[in-house]
Amino acid sequence: MASSDAAAVAGGRLSGPNWRRLRIPLVLTIAGLASLGIMAAGTLVGTSGVSLAGIGRAILIGVSGAEIPADFAKEYRIVWNLRFPRVLLGFLGGASLSLAGVLMQGLLRNPLVSPFTLGVSPAAAFGAALVIIMTQASGAGTGGLEVAAALVSALGCAALVLGFGSFRRLSPTTLILLGIALTQLFEALTSGLQYFASEDALSAIVRWTFGSVNDAQWYQVQVLFALLVLSLPYLLLKAKDINAIAFTGDDVATSLGVNVPRVRIVIIAISVVLTAVVVSFSGVIGFVGLVGPHIARLIIGGNHRYLIPLATLTGGCLLVTADMVGRIVLAPVVVPVGIVIALIGVPIFINLVLSRRGAT
Amino acid sequence: MSLVLDDLSVGYGRRTVLQNVDLVVEPGTVLALLGENGAGKSSLIKAIAGVVRPRTGSIAYAGTDLSRLDRRLRARVVSYVPQRGPDVYGLNVREAVLLGRNPYFGISPTRADHDAVDGALRRLGLGDLAERQVMDLSGGQAQRVLIARALAQQSDVLLLDEPTSALDLRYQVDVLRLIRDLTHEHRKVSLIAIHDLNLAARFCDAFVFVHQGRVSHRGGIETAYTAEAISEVYGLDVAVDISPDGYSVRPLLHPGERSLQHRTPS
Repeated sequence: MASSDAAAVAGGRLSGPNWRRLRIPLVLTIAGLASLGIMAAGTLVGTSGVSLAGIGRAILIGVSGAEIPADFAKEYRIVWNLRFPRVLLGFLGGASLSLAGVLMQGLLRNPLVSPFTLGVSPAAAFGAALVIIMTQASGAGTGGLEVAAALVSALGCAALVLGFGSFRRLSPTTLILLGIALTQLFEALTSGLQYFASEDALSAIVRWTFGSVNDAQWYQVQVLFALLVLSLPYLLLKAKDINAIAFTGDDVATSLGVNVPRVRIVIIAISVVLTAVVVSFSGVIGFVGLVGPHIARLIIGGNHRYLIPLATLTGGCLLVTADMVGRIVLAPVVVPVGIVIALIGVPIFINLVLSRRGAT
Repeated sequence: MSLVLDDLSVGYGRRTVLQNVDLVVEPGTVLALLGENGAGKSSLIKAIAGVVRPRTGSIAYAGTDLSRLDRRLRARVVSYVPQRGPDVYGLNVREAVLLGRNPYFGISPTRADHDAVDGALRRLGLGDLAERQVMDLSGGQAQRVLIARALAQQSDVLLLDEPTSALDLRYQVDVLRLIRDLTHEHRKVSLIAIHDLNLAARFCDAFVFVHQGRVSHRGGIETAYTAEAISEVYGLDVAVDISPDGYSVRPLLHPGERSLQHRTPS
């Protein structure tokens, strides 16, 4: 069998030409630059005109804390208080959901799962709906109580799934089935609340479930940024263990020296925390957690060492782009990003799935 | 550097699938684990691989109790090839084989890891396919990738659970020949769970029949390959033919039952 490889190994390793080795850093660099470009575009787009120079000036003033010139006060407020938090929350939210999606798909060895598979999203919606009805508050993410209730409910749901799942050694099938069961439970509870809700409260609950970054706040950006900065290095460190679980199965991964239950519970916990925080800040933004990882995987392959950073960037770009489109298509009306992302993402996703190699 | 199993019992829940197994496998030995479906062969392999915790007994290699080793150190001693892996979507052959180096590197694979992968790819004839997606391979090629991954792991103990089940005859022979040669050259210990008694007879050095969770017969081919032993294990009358080519096992048909070779094609 070895003789046929003589030509392939001549002159060194069996890997391809040098450009193939450069491909991955090149793809990641392009994705990083594209992310910056899309965020800049997202900041420029809107009913009030803002220039690139204005964006640069606002960043300088905002970061340095310098005094705001009177002639720049309006533009500064638009950029710093409205557009930046919106674009950054969109980017970090999309990045977090896509990252959570790639982790869930890998650890549960199922390309159909998303960050919402464990029931996090309907649980968050239930928490928010409960608070909305109790306080008659309205609007997604504006009330701190709503955010807290959504977060507590989502994390509680994830804890239930992981707790029950641990009785079966956190097997992927068990976790997915438990997630489906709790999704049904929380959807039924939310429907029950809606049945008894007043018209105003009902409208607020429905608006919350649309998913939107309209009311982005700086503290939300800071929280998500901190979570990503803390979790990404750890996840990259564990990428080889995620690869082992995703591509060899639990038994072989164990024989390769991976503590499978521990890696699975810690990394799923990270992904549900990311998801729960995003959902509590911006409502239910579906699809990005499913399509972001798949787009990244089709571009860079399945190796989590590269897939994790690219899927993070892809998700961020998708959500900021969807938000931009939502602000443009029916301006001055802003279409919630949760609706736009599905309208944009579904055709892209179908095209990618049908055009990929080996598709049947 | 022997592999020693001492009073090993394995079970799942209330069910005991393997009882009181004592076994010594000397270095440079390919041992065939034979027996009917559900006899406990896979459980024995999983216990040695550290996938299943034994209920009782111990597993030692070169005098070291494997249960005392750190997971990664144990993975450098024992490698495991399952019957079938999950679908590998998005990895090329090189990356899939590199998974076998998991116990060796931290964040990034080193030059030594890549060299080990190259060696394994060459031994399995996968050099030309190194950049191909595993999803695009045939069943036989994918099986060779699993074996290459175990070779890249460079362990002294190699455990293979039906490694030839998805392969055509040529690759069945190639793979078993490769495992035998590697085992003999590098004084490894290899355990192969296998259903094909004739292939096992040609490529393995020692034989253990597992029957209803216990070792029923063991030894070299002369002592293990008897019609009585095989008939007892499989519940089927067989004849064992000995020729200059080696041993071959032939199921005996019922009186009046015609062999397929006597039928005229329609």
